[in-house]
Amino acid sequence: MNTSSGSKLDKYLGPLNGPQTMGRRLPFWLGFLVVIALLALAPEYLRRYDIINFSNFLISGFLALSLSLIWGYCGILSLGQAAFFGIGGYAYGIVALNLLNLHGNTDVAFIAGIIVPVIFAAIIGGIMFYARLRGVYIAILMLVVSLLIGMFMRQTADPSYTLGEAYLGGMNGLRPASASAPLLPSLIFGIGDSVIELDGRSVSFYYFVLGLLTITYLGLRCLVNSSYGYILVGCRENPDRTETFGYDVRLIQLSVFCLAAAIAGLSGVLYTAWGTYIHPDGFGVGPNILVVIWVAVGGRKDLGCALIGALVLEWASLRLVSEGEIALLVLGAILVFAMLLAPRGLAITLADYFNKAELLLRARLSTGNGVSRKNEE
Amino acid sequence: MNRPESNTKYEKNILRANGLVRVYGGVRALDGLDLEIERDKIHCIIGPNGAGKSTFFKMLMGIEKPTSGKVIFDGKDVTRLPTYARARLGMAIKFQAMQVFQELSVYQNLFIPLRRHYKPRDISGQAKSLLNQLHLEGTEEVTVGDLSHGQQQWLAIGMSLAAEPTLLLLDEPTAGMSQDETRLTSSIIQKLNHDGVTVVVIEHDMEFIRNLNSTTSVLHYGQLFAQGTFSEIEQNDEVRRIYMGTL
Ligand SMILES: Nc1ncnc2c1ncn2[C@@H]1O[C@H](COP(=O)(O)OP(=O)(O)O)[C@@H](O)[C@H]1O
Ligand SMILES: [Mg+2]
Repeated sequence: MNTSSGSKLDKYLGPLNGPQTMGRRLPFWLGFLVVIALLALAPEYLRRYDIINFSNFLISGFLALSLSLIWGYCGILSLGQAAFFGIGGYAYGIVALNLLNLHGNTDVAFIAGIIVPVIFAAIIGGIMFYARLRGVYIAILMLVVSLLIGMFMRQTADPSYTLGEAYLGGMNGLRPASASAPLLPSLIFGIGDSVIELDGRSVSFYYFVLGLLTITYLGLRCLVNSSYGYILVGCRENPDRTETFGYDVRLIQLSVFCLAAAIAGLSGVLYTAWGTYIHPDGFGVGPNILVVIWVAVGGRKDLGCALIGALVLEWASLRLVSEGEIALLVLGAILVFAMLLAPRGLAITLADYFNKAELLLRARLSTGNGVSRKNEE
Repeated sequence: MNRPESNTKYEKNILRANGLVRVYGGVRALDGLDLEIERDKIHCIIGPNGAGKSTFFKMLMGIEKPTSGKVIFDGKDVTRLPTYARARLGMAIKFQAMQVFQELSVYQNLFIPLRRHYKPRDISGQAKSLLNQLHLEGTEEVTVGDLSHGQQQWLAIGMSLAAEPTLLLLDEPTAGMSQDETRLTSSIIQKLNHDGVTVVVIEHDMEFIRNLNSTTSVLHYGQLFAQGTFSEIEQNDEVRRIYMGTL
């Protein structure tokens, strides 16, 4: 299948490598290891404050991966992907507030934060895909759904909006309903009798997120390079044509939409645990569009490029925000320029150049050897 | 839905369209079309531009639903079935527009339809045999956009064949082909038919249709205008007249 890539490497990395992901030769995997190592060693050379921010960047990475999966691989642009982030965050918080005193851990909350967005996605996705909605209709419908949830959440300041120990709290965000209720917790995993607590501001939380993101990225690589990934790409390129081969395109779209909701939900869970707060602003236009920008600027058709887009842009905007509003305008201008220059995404375009340069270099080296041998004669 | 399936094997006609009507805004693209396709034969459909030929195929495959009328495949009413269900019953199509995945390699283009029927490890063998059948041997790694127009048409046919359909619908398969390529396409279709596939072909190229020498139907204003062997159709003055009118 990958006749152009190193065969030895493919033997070990088999399911991770394939035509659906850009980096698949040795230089990529070496670079990948270097990046992981740099991130893993970050607590050694960065201040605690930076590590806390880095945790947040990595949390955004999940959201970018989830949009790349549906948009880049299956052609479903959603302008409401942040809705699943918010739903996941709220679900985690609500369940955690209610069960923490009972269980002493957030295990159920963690799972709920992933399952609830999936249920939500199954319902709304079921309606959209079985009504055969496509393209811009889905994009806008999802934005509207997100805005509606946000509007609802914003008007929940009235004390009657409580779910057990959780008070929705309107604009101020989720909080405990009574003085006896616990505060919104960070992650507390209970395994058997032992309890592992990961404070959102701690280095261990950072490692947890980094590990989870790496696993998610590698897992999705396997997925998009599997048969399922090929069929996703078929649905992206031409859903009608793909259906004439006997595939129920609606079901494929629904399944990938739910999976993406799970990943976005996980992102929301981690965010809530990281800052121990969740508020309705996340459902707004800004956060939703931001996800699209990360993925578009990085490159939607490659998981890694979308991920890089999110991490770099999140880092850059935090850097610039301290320089004042004008710096954000500059960032906006750079983004517009980037989209004009590289409509498929900056990271994808750069990776393409890198690929070509590498192939050229290889060709040069092999012919170069031939030439030098001739010269020696 | 619950008609007996036992006699379907013996039904002479693999496909029947009964009173098909399809309205687009004010246009009646199909206006009460009745047409039967005999099993194991090649059937050609001709007609002036806008006669409703492509619309007919869309109704057959369920890409769009008819305003009224019925489609019976293998003795089964499929009018309300979604496209994928019809494909699973044995129908396949190559639309008029080029329907290959331009950005993907030839191998990936074949992988997608083949995967529904074969295990991953069997696919490369199947792909190879399809490519041989279609004069595309050795092109696995080529990006489809880099193939010639004719090669893309063949690949599109190959993708439709992946499911080993019993009925193959081809909408203008030789559009943009050279004479040699057209002749090869004709032999591909005859070979397929020989192997037991019923083929319905929409075409404009009269040489091509003469070569296939099969039952030919003429569509005009969304209705069946004439039907017969190609030589009968060729000598039909009425048919000549409607072609004159539009050409
Ligand atoms: N999606 C559509 N929307 C509106 N009109 C259409 C559509 N598809 C086909 N038509 C109209 O229906 C008529 C038949 O079209 P078509 O079936 O493509 O003809 P043919 O394939 O015989 O050239 C034409 O007048 C065409 O303009
Ligand atoms: Mg047509």
